[in-house]
Amino acid sequence: MNEQSSPVLEISSLSAGYGRFDVVRDIGLSVGKGEAVALLGPNGAGKTTVLRAIMGLVKQRRGLVRIGATNVSDLPTHRIARGLAAIAPEGRRLFLDQSVEDNLLLGALHLRRDQARVERLLTSVYDLFPVLRNYRHRLSSFLSGGEQQMVAIGRMLMSDPEIMLLDEPSVALSPVAVDIVVKAMLELRKRGASLLLVEQRIDVATRVCDRLYVMTHGEIVEEMTPDTVRAGGMSILSKYLG
Amino acid sequence: MLQFLLSGIAIGSIYGLIGMALAISFYVTRIINFAQGQLMMVTVMITAELVSSGYPVWLAAAAGLAASCIIGVLSYLIAVRPILLSNRFSFGWLVSTLGFAVIVENAAAYVWGPTSQAFPPILNNISVPIGNAVLTGQQLLAIATAAILAAGFEIVRRYTLFGKLGMATAADPEMASAIGANTTVVAIVAFAVSAAFAGIAGLLIGPTTFANPYLGDTFGTYGFIAMMIGGGTERPIAAMFGGLVLGVCAEGANGLINSQASDWFPFIVLVVILIVSPKGLFSASNPLFRPRRPAAASR
Repeated sequence: MNEQSSPVLEISSLSAGYGRFDVVRDIGLSVGKGEAVALLGPNGAGKTTVLRAIMGLVKQRRGLVRIGATNVSDLPTHRIARGLAAIAPEGRRLFLDQSVEDNLLLGALHLRRDQARVERLLTSVYDLFPVLRNYRHRLSSFLSGGEQQMVAIGRMLMSDPEIMLLDEPSVALSPVAVDIVVKAMLELRKRGASLLLVEQRIDVATRVCDRLYVMTHGEIVEEMTPDTVRAGGMSILSKYLG
Repeated sequence: MLQFLLSGIAIGSIYGLIGMALAISFYVTRIINFAQGQLMMVTVMITAELVSSGYPVWLAAAAGLAASCIIGVLSYLIAVRPILLSNRFSFGWLVSTLGFAVIVENAAAYVWGPTSQAFPPILNNISVPIGNAVLTGQQLLAIATAAILAAGFEIVRRYTLFGKLGMATAADPEMASAIGANTTVVAIVAFAVSAAFAGIAGLLIGPTTFANPYLGDTFGTYGFIAMMIGGGTERPIAAMFGGLVLGVCAEGANGLINSQASDWFPFIVLVVILIVSPKGLFSASNPLFRPRRPAAASR
């Protein structure tokens, strides 16, 4: 975390899971205001479960999740989604039978009484992804994977959250689309957004983020900076990521 | 023949409204509320009771509709939500909504007795000749009301934020909550709107059937057939079209086979249609109604 920044997301001793099993155990991490942090790890490490627990989509068994000054551990998902946290989920999960613009406007559901703010946010999304302006009336099911990822990120932006959660935004995209998504995340950083990024691609995480946490088997086993990774080479992470 | 067609459209509008009632709650929650016919009956019974007690028809009808909506919401809170909370993939609601229907029906029979009571005639003394056929004012009212409600629902679904939220909840309830939607409230509203549709169907058919606690059995079943024929599980307005097909088939069978044929013929129609088009005639997945990919988006 930057010296001068206060944590916008703070997780301590978090355990969460499905059924009787804890998928993540005793997790602690923080994201400062304007900071971008990556969660790296192999498949099944529990990275997505951390994001789902922050959103209240997975029951937290123990621990504390705080966004800004709000303890969200006991809040229902729809309350967390109203300006505290927003997610661009794995697989994008757009509302495919609705247009691009409708998907974006649904992201700003809790701001519906502040149309001026919604218009500003919509403009900022279209500025970030100009191609979406041309496709705004098109059904989102008719978009390519990269364009759908832009809508998913745009929908997340529309709620103007304190922390943005991105779950593998580069997965299954072409190199060109990955580049667009990475540039979008860097632009978000310029705008002062706080990001928690789940990634398997180390190059994407090191380009975008200030700090990296490495997860395996439901636990955080290492914290490092992109400089550490660059200095030590990718082999520094290979023992964890396989 | 024209008479069968017009009478079929009139009764089909009623079946379509009940089909839409079933489809609306299913569309949003993926739950079939088997008490939908009984919710229709509640409106009919309460309206009949209040009119016989001297209240004006409009007030009695409004109270009947309000009662249906309240009981509709209760059916969700009592018979559906607790089951989904314990296991959201459970099919326990199949039995619990049926049980709720039986309770409501027997409570009505206990309160009002098992025999039919008078229901106020609405426009029944007006006859309108159309070609060589005749429709009563009541039948025309049913057709017009069904058309307005079906079109109105579709407009709200497609062009309002709440309608789009309903579509989002239908498509992916977890993601809908992750964008800030209180999906429980959306489900409650869906059940209330469903009950209102069923109740309005009751007000339209009441002058013909009179008020009977067992009314919901027959009309609930026909509403279910209308939903399945039309493909209302994918978009509720398709249940209205299914109802019209069902109504014309039932009236045609009554006239051309015998006067009891409408009891069994619709089931044959249902089976044949589901074999030919398993998701219903007017479902979104029917190639005729599937949205087309814009040429510029092709790659």
